[in-house]
Amino acid sequence: MPNAAAASARAVQGDDLAGYGFLLPWLLGFLLLTLGPVAASFYLSLTDYSGLSAPNWVGIENYTRIATDDPRFITAMTVTFTFVLLSVPLKLIFALGVAVALNKGLTGLSFFRAVFYLPSLIGGSVAIAVLWRQVFAGDGLLNQALHTLFGYEGPSWIANPSTSLYTLVLLAVWQFGSSMIIFLAGLRQIPQDIYEAASIDGAQPVRQFFKITLPLLTPVIFFNAVIQTIDAFKAFTSAFVISDGTGGPIDSTLFYTLYLYQEAFTNFRFGYASALAWILVLIIAAFTALSFLSARYWVHYDD
Amino acid sequence: MLSLTQVQKRFGAVEVIRGVDLSIASGEFVVFVGPSGCGKSTLLRMIAGLEPISGGELSIGGIRMNETAASQRGIAMVFQSYALYPHMSVYKNMSFGLETARMRKAEIDRRVRKAADILQITPLLERKPRQLSGGQRQRVAIGRAIVRDPKIFLFDEPLSNLDAELRVQTRVEIAKLHADIGATMIYVTHDQVEAMTLADRIVVLRAGIVEQQGTPLDIYNKPANRFVAGFIGSPKMNFLDVSAAAGGGDAATIGLGASRFSMSIRRGFDASEPLTLGIRPEHVVTGGTAEIDLGTLAIVHVEQLGGQTIAYGRLADGQALNVVLEGQRRISAGDSLPVGAMAGGCHLFGSDGLRLNS
Amino acid sequence: MTEVVRAPAIAFPAAPSRADIGSPWRRAFAYALLLAVTFVLLYPLLWMVASSLRPDSEIFHSTSLIPQAPTFDAYSRGWNGLSVGFSQLFLNSLLISVLVVIGNVMSCAMAAYAFTRLRFRGRGFWFAMMLGTLMLPQHAVLIPQYIMFLKLGWVNTILPLTIPKFLAVDAFFVFLMVQFFRGIPRELDEAAVMDGCGPLRIFLKVILPLSTPVLATAAVFSFIWTWDDFFAPLIYLNDIEKYTAQLGLRTFVDSAGQSDWGALFAMSTLTVLPIFILFLMFQRLLIEGIATTGMKR
Repeated sequence: MPNAAAASARAVQGDDLAGYGFLLPWLLGFLLLTLGPVAASFYLSLTDYSGLSAPNWVGIENYTRIATDDPRFITAMTVTFTFVLLSVPLKLIFALGVAVALNKGLTGLSFFRAVFYLPSLIGGSVAIAVLWRQVFAGDGLLNQALHTLFGYEGPSWIANPSTSLYTLVLLAVWQFGSSMIIFLAGLRQIPQDIYEAASIDGAQPVRQFFKITLPLLTPVIFFNAVIQTIDAFKAFTSAFVISDGTGGPIDSTLFYTLYLYQEAFTNFRFGYASALAWILVLIIAAFTALSFLSARYWVHYDD
Repeated sequence: MLSLTQVQKRFGAVEVIRGVDLSIASGEFVVFVGPSGCGKSTLLRMIAGLEPISGGELSIGGIRMNETAASQRGIAMVFQSYALYPHMSVYKNMSFGLETARMRKAEIDRRVRKAADILQITPLLERKPRQLSGGQRQRVAIGRAIVRDPKIFLFDEPLSNLDAELRVQTRVEIAKLHADIGATMIYVTHDQVEAMTLADRIVVLRAGIVEQQGTPLDIYNKPANRFVAGFIGSPKMNFLDVSAAAGGGDAATIGLGASRFSMSIRRGFDASEPLTLGIRPEHVVTGGTAEIDLGTLAIVHVEQLGGQTIAYGRLADGQALNVVLEGQRRISAGDSLPVGAMAGGCHLFGSDGLRLNS
Repeated sequence: MTEVVRAPAIAFPAAPSRADIGSPWRRAFAYALLLAVTFVLLYPLLWMVASSLRPDSEIFHSTSLIPQAPTFDAYSRGWNGLSVGFSQLFLNSLLISVLVVIGNVMSCAMAAYAFTRLRFRGRGFWFAMMLGTLMLPQHAVLIPQYIMFLKLGWVNTILPLTIPKFLAVDAFFVFLMVQFFRGIPRELDEAAVMDGCGPLRIFLKVILPLSTPVLATAAVFSFIWTWDDFFAPLIYLNDIEKYTAQLGLRTFVDSAGQSDWGALFAMSTLTVLPIFILFLMFQRLLIEGIATTGMKR
């Protein structure tokens, strides 16, 4: 009886055949391009594979070497964490500030929204990295402006290891538009009558911002923070173009992904690079997990 | 024409339809009615072929249909939300199924235009659903069913998205359509007025079981059990706890407060069995003409509807009793009213909820 | 019990009805601030375009946004500045981007349809797997994928850049479409079943036509992200005649960069131009896509 019922269920309701037919492309992609490679990359991280000869099993040697005997790994970690911890908060604060200003019922909202969004749409392209390289060069736009306005002769911000990373932070902050749009959408979800009630209770605008807007916006802030953090860990193109693929000057812009790229595709140390990749994945996973754990203490959900 | 034999539906371990037997004659208008969650929509969707049948048999025209694809069952369905394709014109909405069946263009056109003519929607044929009012969408949904020239029409709460006025108007039109086309119609609703006005036969469902089926007046006059009695009729039937002073044979003496009266019964019962007496508010008699004396009603609240007056009150023993009085009565809270009933307007239910009197 | 048919649309919440900036002074201040931000944001971009129209001698001596004697010299120098003309590189980029758009939209829509509308054994399991891949950084699969494509002989062809997209590897788009498809009333599918449609016909005739907003969003973002992509072409393309515009531009930095900024800016402007045009055409779609789904760019 149950079998007959199952058979009729299939006759009437679409079936395994159609389901797997439609799912087939994704399923192939998942098995061949995700699941298989994930397993392979974990295996490779335990070998000395270089692409030339068969991989030799080396156990956790790659990992121990990374942890104990790789100064460039330390550098890459420092650079990347500095970049993430600076660019993400700055970007979010800026995005939130502009979103709050735009949400005041000004006319021209859609114009400003579009203009502010443009940099984040094109900011990842090579062209913008090229532009940045020129703007912060010794004879670049910034120094010309400083010269014209203040008579100050600036250094080459790109070539100076103590400032080069900050030009990349600035480039990231410049792309605050998409976060701003998400904040703006979040602000629109806060019912107006809450503010009206607060006004009647005598709350001034500043107090309203900190006591109403900010708490009610925490889910959006949390979402933006997680997305932007993950994205910042993966940043690559700007550092690559600005430093000619070296991460220079003297490794001051050696993003983790850049180091990974060099190990894998210029030194062809696939095993070692796989270990580096897994460490990056674990860092991102740990960061995400920490965010979610911390969320219960500061993110306000309705339910 | 259509018959269900011990039809069952299970979702996992939950049994939603528990062995329904039903046979519907050609041209009959049958209404499934019941509270939400009673399984009436599920049953309809099983007939439609949208929901697989877990057990039992569905046959249409003597042929088993359990495994037949929905489009091959000779049925058409009007959905609660109308389910018009938003991206297709009215014409295309109606012709889509026929095109899928690879019918000749000329025949499709003839059918669509004829249906549009019947429903008076010819001027709307080129419009998109979003440009139509609720009532017009409803007509298109019916039109989409008509063009298929089905043996059986299925309606799933088709009026629930319309406002009150349009609902009455469309109800009349569906009844007229049934008279004109003469096809079999199965109609699901939770609105008992729709059930009473449209049906040749009402099927009352509760928790996946058919509680009673019969003509609307049968069900109103002789509800088979306490549930049906309470569900059909508005305002709801009054239920009073009564005692059986004496039982046996085919008559029983019933005691309610101080009054005693006799009713004919179908089965014997224990003197200890708690019985329930049901009286519809509109059947409570207030003059001295009552066959059965119910004592004095202390009125708690009065609603004046203009054509009727509804009085809410309590009997001497504290039981609630509501009364519908024709016309405008000058009564108000705090008044008392002598009340009674005719024997024919009384329903007696045993402790199992089943009807006791004949 | 009653469910009204809603046209599935990405909703952008309406603007607050009341303007809550009190005095005209504060209003003026807010505008001044926003205009200042606009200026700072756009200044480098506009200056880049302006500089591409200047003779080289002028670039490093002018911070103004209006070239004194506009000339397209830099464009013709840049266009032929590499051993392969930029026309070839733009065509390469266009081909790859268009193929990716087709692949993404097709395969992701199919997967999303299976996940939302078809009942088959294992659906819940595969759906959970799909959600799992949403958060997985590409770095976890990068090297084995590269080795695999190398062994297949696909390196230095466009295959590694396009074929995966036909296999719905961008789980994000699958997720986006799943969300959208869920908003399409199921009664429409059922009406189509009554009209004699099977799964394929429901997909083609009901679901896809009703999903143009989400398909367009996925298509535009696919195009822009692919056009902009630098990392994958960098790894997979070796010969300069197979380069994308982005790769070509970066090569141009090495070969001409320090000496011919004008040509470099001209080519930079041109590589951004298609994105800018798409931005102008689909601005609403893009912004609503970001607002409702929280895409990162």
